[in-house]
Amino acid sequence: MNNVNTNEVNMNDVNRERSWFWRKIGFWFVPVRAETLGPEEWAKVRKMSRTGKRRTRRLLFALLWVPVLVCEIAVSLRVVRLDPWAGLMSTAWLTVLLGLWVRSLRIGFAQVSLEDRAVMEYGAQFDALKEKQRGEVFQRAVRDGLFGRVKVDEHEAERRLQAQAAAYRLLGPALVAFITGYWGVCLFGPFEATRSALAVTAVVVTWLAALVLAAPTMIRMWTQPDEPGETAAVAE
Amino acid sequence: MSLHNRIAVLRAEKKLSRATLASSVGVNPQTIGFLERGDYTPSLELAFKIAEHFGLPVEAVFSPRPFRTLSEQVYKLHKREA
Repeated sequence: MNNVNTNEVNMNDVNRERSWFWRKIGFWFVPVRAETLGPEEWAKVRKMSRTGKRRTRRLLFALLWVPVLVCEIAVSLRVVRLDPWAGLMSTAWLTVLLGLWVRSLRIGFAQVSLEDRAVMEYGAQFDALKEKQRGEVFQRAVRDGLFGRVKVDEHEAERRLQAQAAAYRLLGPALVAFITGYWGVCLFGPFEATRSALAVTAVVVTWLAALVLAAPTMIRMWTQPDEPGETAAVAE
Repeated sequence: MSLHNRIAVLRAEKKLSRATLASSVGVNPQTIGFLERGDYTPSLELAFKIAEHFGLPVEAVFSPRPFRTLSEQVYKLHKREA
C-alpha cells in the first residue's frame, strides 16, 4: 500500500514538473509509454475515451457533420473556379479527411472502453492496474482504433445494417429530388451555349442514380439461393 | 418481438462483470449492456452461449414474456414444498 502511495506521489511530482504544452496538448501526440503519463493525463485520456458513449454528444457530432460538409462544398467550389486541377485536388483531399473522420466514428462504436479492456485483458479494474499495464491497455486501444481492428459482433453488424438500410431509404427520394432539380436547371437555366452539354451530364447522372437505386435488388437477384422444395415425406 | 432476459440478475448473482461475460461469449461488452437493457434481441447462437455460460437452460435466461422476480418464484416453490 505504501508503495502505491509513493508511486502516486511521484507521478504527481513528475506531472507538476512538466511544461504547460505537454500537460495540455503534447502528450496526445507522443507514443504512450507507461511512465510518460501522470494522473492528470490519465484522467483526460479516460474522459476522452468516453466521448462517444453519450447519445447527446453523438447527436452533436452528427449535427456538426452538416456544416462541415457545407464548408467542404463551398471551399471546393471556390477553388475549382480558380483552377480545375486544384479543385480536384482540394475536393479529393477534403473528401479523404471527411472519410477518415467517418471511419474513426464507425470504429469508435465498436471499440471497447479502456475500463472494459482492463477487465478483459487483465481481469482487474482499470484503476487497480499498474502504470505499465495501463499504458499497454491504452497503447492497444489507440493501435486498434487507428488500424480499425475492432470486433464487429452480431449487435454491431446488425446496427450497421440498420443504419445502411435507413441511409438507403433516404437516398432514394434525395436522388430523385436532386435529379429533378438538375434537369430543371439544365433545361430552364440561363446556359444557352452549354445547354446540350449539360443535358448529356444530366442523362449520365440520371442513369447512375437508377443504377445505385436498383443495385440492392440486382444483388439480391444474383445471390438469393433457390427456394427449397417440400421434403418427400411431407409432399403429396 | 422483444425478448426478456435475466442476464443482469444472473451476472449480479455470480459477481460477473459485463466485460468478463462478453469475453467468454465472444461479443463486445456494450452488447451485453444493450441486451440487459432490452435494446437488442440476441441471435439464437448468442442466447445459447449465454445460457450455457450460466449453466442454465435457455428458457431460464430468455423468455418472450416478462419474468416473475426470482424472490417471488422462490417463495412459491417453498410454499408448494411446505
